Amino acid sequence: MPIPPRPPRPLTTTVIGSWSVPDWLERAKTAAYHGGVSRTQLSDMHDMAIKAVLKDQEVVGIDVVTDGELRRDNDIDHILARVPGVVAREPVKAFYFDYLDLELQSPIPAVGPGPLGLVSDLAFTRTYTDRPVRFSMTGPFSLSRRLRTSEGAGYGDSADRADLVRDLARVLNAEATALAAAGAQLLQLDEPFLAGHPEHVKLAVEAVNIVVADVPVTWALHVCYGNRYARPLWEGHYDFLFPAVLDAAVDQLLLEFARKGDDDLALIEKHGWDRVLGVGVLDVKTAEVESAPLVERRIERALAYVPPERLLVTPDCGLRHLPATAARAKLRAMTSAAAAVRARLA
Amino acid sequence: MRVEIRPAARLRGTNAVDLLPALGPALDAVIADPEVDLTRLRVTADWVQYRRSFRPPVMLVPSTGGDALELAVDLRRAHDAETTANAVAAAFHAHRNGSGAGAHRTLEEWTPTSRSLIWRFNALYWQHLRAWEEATGHGYESALPGGRSGAREDEPVRAMIKALFAVWDSLARRRALPEELYVVELGVGNGSQARTWLDAFRELDAEHGHRYYRRLHYLMGDYSPHVLELARAAVAEHAQHVSSLVLDAQRPMTALGFLRFKVFLVYISNVYDNLPTDEIATIGQREHLVQTRAYLDEADAVAIAAGVAATPDALGGLVDKLLQLGPTLLAEAAPGHIPDPAAGVAFWRACWSALRLQERYVPLHGLDTYEIAPGISGELLRPMTATGGDLRLHAANGAAASFADTLPLLHPFGRLQCHDIFITATDQYRTGFRGPGKYDGSVVNWVNGPLLAHIGARMGFDVAFAPFTPSGSNIVTLTADVRD
Repeated sequence: MPIPPRPPRPLTTTVIGSWSVPDWLERAKTAAYHGGVSRTQLSDMHDMAIKAVLKDQEVVGIDVVTDGELRRDNDIDHILARVPGVVAREPVKAFYFDYLDLELQSPIPAVGPGPLGLVSDLAFTRTYTDRPVRFSMTGPFSLSRRLRTSEGAGYGDSADRADLVRDLARVLNAEATALAAAGAQLLQLDEPFLAGHPEHVKLAVEAVNIVVADVPVTWALHVCYGNRYARPLWEGHYDFLFPAVLDAAVDQLLLEFARKGDDDLALIEKHGWDRVLGVGVLDVKTAEVESAPLVERRIERALAYVPPERLLVTPDCGLRHLPATAARAKLRAMTSAAAAVRARLA
Repeated sequence: MRVEIRPAARLRGTNAVDLLPALGPALDAVIADPEVDLTRLRVTADWVQYRRSFRPPVMLVPSTGGDALELAVDLRRAHDAETTANAVAAAFHAHRNGSGAGAHRTLEEWTPTSRSLIWRFNALYWQHLRAWEEATGHGYESALPGGRSGAREDEPVRAMIKALFAVWDSLARRRALPEELYVVELGVGNGSQARTWLDAFRELDAEHGHRYYRRLHYLMGDYSPHVLELARAAVAEHAQHVSSLVLDAQRPMTALGFLRFKVFLVYISNVYDNLPTDEIATIGQREHLVQTRAYLDEADAVAIAAGVAATPDALGGLVDKLLQLGPTLLAEAAPGHIPDPAAGVAFWRACWSALRLQERYVPLHGLDTYEIAPGISGELLRPMTATGGDLRLHAANGAAASFADTLPLLHPFGRLQCHDIFITATDQYRTGFRGPGKYDGSVVNWVNGPLLAHIGARMGFDVAFAPFTPSGSNIVTLTADVRD
């Protein structure tokens, strides 16, 4: 049974996806490309690290948890490199976090359920927590921006390569279908590159709708200004997202507000977003820990536009680039603040 | 016994170094000493290019992790056979007696080089630059490599500005160009670079017709108030668009945090080579931290003390007062020794000229136990130390801290450009002496470019090196652009 599109309680707390990557794991991930660590050893390390991440989230009081995306080198490779037909031009990286240089030499073929093999990742996570799990995949538009296509692939060289985006969406739809069959209740699409290409928002939304079609789970969409290396890739406002995003068949929209300020909250009201809003209340681009009262103020400002039962309390984006101590302290401030505001509302 | 001769390129050609006059007597002296364990001795030969450095011509460097010893010979200066042999014998004698470098006055305890008092002298130089310049009769720029700050060439500046215009035009077309356009220069020198840049900017903007000059904010940051004052005067014509502030180049975000992700260009020239650094040495597959201890040769100490009517024993206290107070206030604090500020500067210059560093190797228990700068693990040196063989390199602590703390200023389409004396490949540490040396009253080291490239990559920047053009000097241009 899918969980209802609305969060389990007012001001439900959750994380966006990624978790702080320990230095030892970074070294092991890099060493795995150079033969210093075997893939079996690395897999064991991932398992142990994910168990710890789940426990960390439970201890700080996160309601809806993730696996921290610790098996993934970055937001692209783990998914895009598995798309049928995609090959890495150079499979060895100098540093694990680098992007692979990926290329498609022929059209993406029609695929059956689970072409990306993510079901085992989800199953492992669900084995080690009783809490609802948010499972994320990078969205088709952002995936397309990191994929070369040779002439044989037949996707042309237009700026948007719309057919490629749609085909990637179909692959993600097949994967989502398998994830749902394996018990996924909450799936999320991340579009970290979309803010840098605001002119393609309609295409991105069209592709989102291909991914979510006929997959009976709660769907979330996360759009930020980029967080690679803890840096934004674009400085602007969310006005590019509206009204196009209203057509996205998703239940939750998770946006960043802590770093950028809350000016864009007015867009939610102006455009009548009537579904769940995830409001970013932690700046993940700085290790400076917000105080709980500051986070409370950020939550209360969002409450001026969205009622508590439709408000998710989240960090701005993934926690990958934060030291673990800072990540835990920030989340503790977030859950404390959510509890305090919740108590005042009761 | 292993003998490592580093300046390979100097062994051939018209001005080739003649090895035997320097190394022969040193080796003979070592072999003649029956108490020296030759199986535990490394002999390293460098060609120390600095006219004034912290190294004596011959130096013994022990390791605290065992009985291994390094005999370091400067091929440039160890050319008198008898002097070299005597120096080697004296060094071993002093080592066995536990007195390190022989007859000398130590001025501090053993410490990583980045925390040595040579950096207090360095800070003194920048804080009291005017007094130093008045005493020496020349400006500090004449001490820089090539005789002046490296970036006042017009064409590279114009190219830099045109590239900036291209980015801004592109953002403007997408309605994403901020109203205020920030450019930051760290280490402004006497302001001539800023003047050249702003003049060219105004001229090109007028041709371009987009009125970016009107929106430009040029921030000049420097550690030296005197230098900043000169720079302000140099750019007086652009005063409406220029702000200046005294800042610590190692922590630019402290003063400039309000510009996080907003700066389109950060320009840095001849700053990193003047920031504190440690050295890390891989010897026999084990990493060591180089610790140093500042001292004065006894003969120098006696002469300096006599010049200020003090005993050699009192020198340490006077030096400490000098470093705390500066030459002017020292005259007030110690009038019996320093009658006036000019005498304070003379004392300062004499001490600086005679200042030497003892060295020793202290084993590290893993590179990750060593922190290059806040949040930057020594592990980042591993790609260099893992290249095999013995290697001694700079940790570039100050440069690394500055670079890592500057990159967050950059706008998503921003660029950092830096001119300095960079090592661009690890092997350069195997083939030449890279500092520390003395330039006028300041400390200079070559900057570990590969390390900065690693730091940049971890922070999302592609770092490239190119010879500074037009050149003729050792200056290299580092450019950091947002990657992916």
